[in-house]
Amino acid sequence: MQLDDFSTRAGEWLSGEGPHSDVVISSRIRLARNLADHLFLSRADDRQKRLVADEVSEALDSLDGSMKLKRMDIEDLDSIDRLLLLERHLISREHAFAKGARAVAFDAGETTSVMINEEDHLRQQVMRSGFQLEEAWRAMDEMDRRLEEELDFAFDDQYGYLTACPTNVGTGLRASVMLHLPALVMTRQIEKVFQAVTKINLAVRGLFGEGTQALGDFYQISNQRTLGLSEEEVIGNISSILPQIISFEHKIRKELLSSKREVLEDKVWRAYGALANARVISSKETMETLSLVRLGVTTDLVGHLEIHHVNELFLFTQPGHLQKVEGQELDSKERDIVRATQVREYLDDLQAT
Amino acid sequence: MEIGEGAAMKCEICRESVATVHLTEISNNMKKEVHLCESCAQEKGVAIHSQVKNLSLPEFFGQLTDAPPSTEKQKKAQSCAVCGIDYQEFRATGKFGCASDYQIFRKELDYLLDKVHGAVQHRGKMPMRLGLEMSKRRQVDDLKKELRSAVESEEYEQAANIRDRIHMLERG
Ligand SMILES: [Zn+2]
Ligand SMILES: [Zn+2]
Repeated sequence: MQLDDFSTRAGEWLSGEGPHSDVVISSRIRLARNLADHLFLSRADDRQKRLVADEVSEALDSLDGSMKLKRMDIEDLDSIDRLLLLERHLISREHAFAKGARAVAFDAGETTSVMINEEDHLRQQVMRSGFQLEEAWRAMDEMDRRLEEELDFAFDDQYGYLTACPTNVGTGLRASVMLHLPALVMTRQIEKVFQAVTKINLAVRGLFGEGTQALGDFYQISNQRTLGLSEEEVIGNISSILPQIISFEHKIRKELLSSKREVLEDKVWRAYGALANARVISSKETMETLSLVRLGVTTDLVGHLEIHHVNELFLFTQPGHLQKVEGQELDSKERDIVRATQVREYLDDLQAT
Repeated sequence: MEIGEGAAMKCEICRESVATVHLTEISNNMKKEVHLCESCAQEKGVAIHSQVKNLSLPEFFGQLTDAPPSTEKQKKAQSCAVCGIDYQEFRATGKFGCASDYQIFRKELDYLLDKVHGAVQHRGKMPMRLGLEMSKRRQVDDLKKELRSAVESEEYEQAANIRDRIHMLERG
């Protein structure tokens, strides 16, 4: 299956490039759309879902260039491959494990994707590395415009684009940025970010790890409102507050480096030591240590790694990727061993070159 | 690392502001979801290692303390001829069955959308096939609003300019 090389490379949006990628991991735009003359998915039977999937797939086939997407039927994939797609942000958890005819289509670099028959007939997505929300929106707008030449989207004068759930109606747009804010967390200043962000009606969310473990250093900021604001206004809201957060995190990193350099260096290198030497490592410990190493890389405390290496390790150490490498299902204890081995070998290879 | 998106809802502490901080507290092995506005979250000194959960629309309905404008009894009879859904079912699942539902449940919907989005009118892009005609209409609406406020604040020169632009749009 073509997903095989997924365990050795990451999507382009994890390249660690792009503006402010020391703080902004990625930018994402999602757009919900439904076909005008088909039932929404909660009411559609399997035959109707297949009709929708066929119609959307045909429209996707008309796209070319960087928008050329390859389609996969989720029902044809085993559980490990579904997990892979989930971990790579190509599909949602619901889409991975729901029932019925549904598909995903994505490009080779995994920056553009479309979920077919998720909660809405289409969920289009554009991802970019670093802080590139506006660029992501332009790409999304272009794909949406091309698709609308082929498809008749459900639209209402008053309500805009009609979605299965009214929380998405209007623009159908979710814009988000994923942030790495270790210095603000370390110095307990993250609440200030919460405050600033929520004041302008944006939502802050922490990221889930495996199971119920919390990953304190990663935060996603996204819009809540989809009705009553233009797409540009929504993106502008996030874009206007982000520079303040980035420079706040920068400032604290600099302060830590000058006033507590040894302490910080010690934390970072102990984390590196754990990653480079562990024989058994949990998902939680991996996330926490990688977060510190990422901080070390972006502050030049760790010289031989680059951001994209750390980003890759975040991805490769997740359950689906570990099981893909081993070619079989693993329980959590087995995964902790495989994870430690994978990380160790990855870091060894880097040191050798 | 998958993240969900949820609806807006009221803060659980002050019950006034919109909750924008969504947390899952874990204490004594018990999981508890908390939804707070920014100032209450700050006061509470939001724990750093907290998880966050999205809120579904049915949960949101549960949060609404005041009833929608029309009574539940009236609603029971009304169901969509296309997909068969009624308002009760929509409230239970938070999902519509077809595009027509937006027309059928319009009254209840405006109330709900105002709570969730603080607006009842789309202002973003639209399909090209409808675009030109509608965007012109929308521009005229916006300009008329500007005109009113210009007149109110006695900025007559500006008002005259706006009036010219409205005429141009309506003619062209
Ligand atoms: Zn409050
Ligand atoms: Zn219906």
